[in-house]
Amino acid sequence: MNSLRIFFIGGLTSYRALFHWLSPWILVPTFLLTPLFQIFLFVYIGRTAGISDDRFFLIGNAVVNAAVPCLFAMGNTIGGERNTGTLPLLIASPAKRVPLFLGRALPVIVNGFLVAVFALITGSLLLRVDIPPATWGGIAVAIAACSISCTGLGLLGAAVALRVRETAVMSNIVLGILIVFAGVNVPVGAMPGWMQVVAGWLPMTHGIRATHDLAAGAALTDVAGTLLAELGLGALYAGLGLALLRWFEYESRARATLDTA
Amino acid sequence: MVRVTEPVIEVDGLARTFRSRKGLIRRSSKEIEAVRGVSFAVERGELFGLLGPNGAGKTTTIKMLITLLLPTGGRARVLGHDVVAQAHAVRRKVGYVFGGDRGLYERLSGLDNLRYFAELYGVPARESKQRVGELLELVGLAGREKERVEGYSRGMRQRLHIARGLLHRPEVLFLDEPSIGIDPVGARELRATVRNLVETGTTVLLTTHYMFEADELCDRIAVIARGRIVALDTPSELKQKVTTGTVLEIDVFGVPDGVVEKVRAEPDVLSVSVDVQGQAEVLTVHARPGTDVTQAVMGHLDGSRFGRVITRQPTLEDAYIELVNAA
Repeated sequence: MNSLRIFFIGGLTSYRALFHWLSPWILVPTFLLTPLFQIFLFVYIGRTAGISDDRFFLIGNAVVNAAVPCLFAMGNTIGGERNTGTLPLLIASPAKRVPLFLGRALPVIVNGFLVAVFALITGSLLLRVDIPPATWGGIAVAIAACSISCTGLGLLGAAVALRVRETAVMSNIVLGILIVFAGVNVPVGAMPGWMQVVAGWLPMTHGIRATHDLAAGAALTDVAGTLLAELGLGALYAGLGLALLRWFEYESRARATLDTA
Repeated sequence: MVRVTEPVIEVDGLARTFRSRKGLIRRSSKEIEAVRGVSFAVERGELFGLLGPNGAGKTTTIKMLITLLLPTGGRARVLGHDVVAQAHAVRRKVGYVFGGDRGLYERLSGLDNLRYFAELYGVPARESKQRVGELLELVGLAGREKERVEGYSRGMRQRLHIARGLLHRPEVLFLDEPSIGIDPVGARELRATVRNLVETGTTVLLTTHYMFEADELCDRIAVIARGRIVALDTPSELKQKVTTGTVLEIDVFGVPDGVVEKVRAEPDVLSVSVDVQGQAEVLTVHARPGTDVTQAVMGHLDGSRFGRVITRQPTLEDAYIELVNAA
């Protein structure tokens, strides 16, 4: 029972406590405006170059923005504790770590999902991109899968925060890698072989591909395998993140780095 | 039948060495022995003080006892649980409060801070609301609990820290300089709170820089310096241990020539000093324990104009300074 409370109530409370972007002055420009600017930029580049249709750039750039909260907010679940001086209290608490950290992922997943959905809906309306209403349900599932898998990667970043002071730099680099490799603006099939291999192990790649297929009329069952691959990657990264958190927690006690890393 | 109770905290040869590295290419490392084999035991219901200068190893010792740091030597048990092998069991039963205004979620209200820590410490949901309310009353934050912590004064934050540390009714409470930065009224209230906790059966390990606080509160005190315990006893016994006996202070308006030397030559006088304070000179005479040099000193001051004459016992601060300097 207590683990459930830590998962749901604790997760939401820590999200409110630690995610400093939850202010209108940061939230609106970061989560609502920036994704639109990114979409417009690449849609117009695409139109000028005549290399693909608007829908391709709209979907890729809208969905990848789910990664912003998933990477940054998740990384901040440990980095934020260090900044507020609450990290020793968290480590010295008897709370079970799996519900504690997975609970922190839940609001982040919802945040990422809402950012991408807003960007996709608003972008399609402003750019007059036709996405059939019947496909929206499936697309929402694909975006949710992307948010979940990306938060898994964010959890890995959170673990690293037990060893390094600043995670925002790392999150920025990971976001850049996703934009380049995950089929956001260049179809994965058009990339060199080694890039395709890297893309296959990244969150977002499979989810974005599934979203393209769904928008083109594919049924959810047609992309189930792709979405399962996306969720599987998320589970893999989350598992690695939890294992790394456990190891780094022990190391921080041995090396006395809780206050100093 | 004699009932033998186990100490609540048992520390045996506990040591912690820190290794710091610097340099990117030519890396060099340095080892600092913060705690060098300290041993002590704290009985149930005792208020045990750990006194020492900055960097003496007080906080490092506490961090090892609350499982935040792994010792590099020795062993420690809290409530029968080893702090390394049974860290989880220790965490469930101990509370930890440290001084300063960090360690709280600034964006949350005081109430939400307490609710969150109640979840982390496994306070059952049906008890949590009542417990949080009790503690807010106890620390005097009732009525301010819905305000964000970022707007709290330092004293309010410290009181919230104490409430947080007590949420799960810990059997052992570690207080690491809890009164630092609190105004005198708040510090007095804090001391009363700590005393009440001990009266209700909580074992407390307290570190502080304030001698009167340790003197007033602690059943026993360990003086720690350079990572080692240099004395461990009750406050009154610690005061007896120091060589400084009675202290005589006299305000003199113009100490005649040669008087200081004459007083110093008295057989029971250990030391004499003169400090100028305003228009008066304060003659401070440290006498051997169990002697009274007032008459002899007054005899040398015959004909001088003097004001305040005070005879006082050595304070814990006198004892502390002597012990730490000798370490």
